[in-house]
Amino acid sequence: MIFGIKEKSIILTNFDVLFAIATNIHVRLKTGFVLQVAVQGTVSLQCSNVRRGFHRAALLRLASDSKSDTSVPPPSYHEVHTAGESSSSSAQGESSEDAQPNTSFQDQSGEHGEDYETEEQLQARILTAALEFVPQHGWTVEAIAAAAETLGLSSASTGMFNNGAGDLVLHFVAQCNAQLAETLAEQNNQVQLGQAEAKKTAEFLKDAVETRLRMLIPYIDTWPQAMSILLLPHNIPDSLKHLSTMVDDIWYYAGDRSTDVNWYTRRAALTGIYNTTELVMVQDSSPDFEETWAFLDNRIKDVVNMANTAKQVQATGEAVVQGLMGAAITLKNLTGMNQRR
Amino acid sequence: MHRFVRPQLMLRDSKQPLLPRAGHLCTNHKSVVSSVRGYVVLPPTSDEEEKAMLHRMMRVDHAGEYGANRIYAGQMAVLGRTQISPLIQEMWDQEKQHLRKFNEILAENRVRPTLLLPLWNIAGFALGAGSALLGKEGAMACTVAVEESISEHYNSQIRTLMEKDPEKYTELLQLIKEFRDDEMEHHDTGLEHDAESVNLNYCHDRMSCMNYNIKIQILNNSNN
Repeated sequence: MIFGIKEKSIILTNFDVLFAIATNIHVRLKTGFVLQVAVQGTVSLQCSNVRRGFHRAALLRLASDSKSDTSVPPPSYHEVHTAGESSSSSAQGESSEDAQPNTSFQDQSGEHGEDYETEEQLQARILTAALEFVPQHGWTVEAIAAAAETLGLSSASTGMFNNGAGDLVLHFVAQCNAQLAETLAEQNNQVQLGQAEAKKTAEFLKDAVETRLRMLIPYIDTWPQAMSILLLPHNIPDSLKHLSTMVDDIWYYAGDRSTDVNWYTRRAALTGIYNTTELVMVQDSSPDFEETWAFLDNRIKDVVNMANTAKQVQATGEAVVQGLMGAAITLKNLTGMNQRR
Repeated sequence: MHRFVRPQLMLRDSKQPLLPRAGHLCTNHKSVVSSVRGYVVLPPTSDEEEKAMLHRMMRVDHAGEYGANRIYAGQMAVLGRTQISPLIQEMWDQEKQHLRKFNEILAENRVRPTLLLPLWNIAGFALGAGSALLGKEGAMACTVAVEESISEHYNSQIRTLMEKDPEKYTELLQLIKEFRDDEMEHHDTGLEHDAESVNLNYCHDRMSCMNYNIKIQILNNSNN
C-alpha cells in the first residue's frame, strides 16, 4: 500500500490531485489517501517544477480530449452499476472529493452507440500496445504511459491502472494463455477432423509447454522483472489463477478426464514442470533455448516414469498380497484349521 | 477410477469447451457453445457466480455418490457371502451408475473434483464395514440413515434450483429428481429389511446421518 502511495506521489502532487478531480481522470483515491498524497506532495522533492508543469499540461490535454473524444470515457460511472464488471476499473472515479464541478453521472443509457468501447476494452488496448515498449522501459508504468501516448491519450491515463506494472504483466499472461488455448483447440479440431495424428501425452505436454514458453521469447530479457512482479503479494491470487487455468487447459486438451485425486496430482506435476522450465529458460543462453527444451523433455520423462513406476508398484503390491493370501489359505488347509469340526 | 481419454473422444464437444473459461483479464473468451449432443445437463452460462454455484453443486453430489459407493463396498466386504448380499449388490450397482453419471458431468463441464475424495474413500468404507459388522440389521440401518441424508440433500438442491429458474435447469432438475427417487427407494428397501429391529439403531441412525451431514457441510463450505 505504501508502495502504491509513493508511486502515485511521483505522478501526482497536491495540485495535480485537484486537477485530476476536476478533469475526471480515473484516479482511485480515498479521502485518507488524498490527504496523505497532498502532504507528501508538498514536501516531495521528487517533482521538479518542470515535471509539475508537464503533468498539468498533460491533464489539461486530457480534459480537452475528454470533451471531444467520447471513447476516452469520462468516468463511466454507469459501468460501476453494470453487473459482472469484475476488473479493477469497476471502482474507478469513486473519489470521495466533493470538488467535482464538471462531473455528471452518466446515466445507464448514456453513450451506447455501436462503436462504444468499454473501459475494459480500452484498458486492454492500451496494455496490448504497451507490450511493444516493454523491451525499452521494462514492465513498468512508463511502458504503459508510452503506449497511451501512441494511442493518442495522455500519459496520465496510467492512472486507470491501479496495479500499474502488475496490470501489464497480468494482461500479458492472460493474453498468452488465451493464445495457447486457441492453439490447443485448433490442434484438437485437426485431430478430430482426421487431418492430424493424435499425439502421445508426453509429447503433447511437451509441445504445449514449449508453445507457451516460446511466447516469452520476445520479452525474455525483462521477464525476471515480470516474474518478480507476479510474486508480489497482491498479485499472487491473480497469477495463481492464470497459472491454474493454463495448466487445466493443457491437461483438458491432452485428454485428461479424471475425476479423482489424479486431477490434482497431474496438475500439480505440470505446474512444477512449467515453473521450473520457466526459470531455466530465463537464464538460458543457448541458441534457440535448446537447453530449456532438453530440460523440459527430461522433466516430462521423469513424471511419466514416476507414473509408470507407481502403477507397477501398485500391481506388484496387489500380486504380493494375493500371494500371501494364497500361502495363508494353504497353511490353514495343511494344518487342518479350515475344516469344520 | 481415473479415466484417460484420447482427444478423439472429444468429438462430443464442439470446437470449444462447453462452459466459458474463467480467469482471463481480456474477455474475448465469453463465447458459449452448445454441445453437439442435444442433451446437456448443466445449462451453459456466462455468469460466473451461477457457474460457480453449479460447479459446487456437482462437486458435492459427485463426492456424495462416491462416498455412498464406498459405503456399499464396505458393507459388501463384510456381508459379501451372506443372504443379504444380492440386495446390497443391487443397491451398490445403482450407486455405481449414479457415480458414473456424475463422472461424466464433471468431465464434460471441467468441474474440479473435491480434494477430500481420499478422505471420503476411507471414511465411507469404514462406515460401511463398521455397520456391517453389526450384522445385517446394522448394515440396513446404516443404509437407511445415509439414504435419508442424501435424499434430504438432493431435495434441498431441487428447492434451490426451483427457486432460481425451473425452466432453465430442467435437465438438471430431472437428473437430481431421478437420483433422489432412487435413493428413497434404497431407503425404503432398508426399512423393509428389518433396519428398525436393532436396539442400537437409534444411535447408529443418528451417527450415520450426522456423518453424512458433516460430509455435505464440509464439502459445501470448503470446496467452493
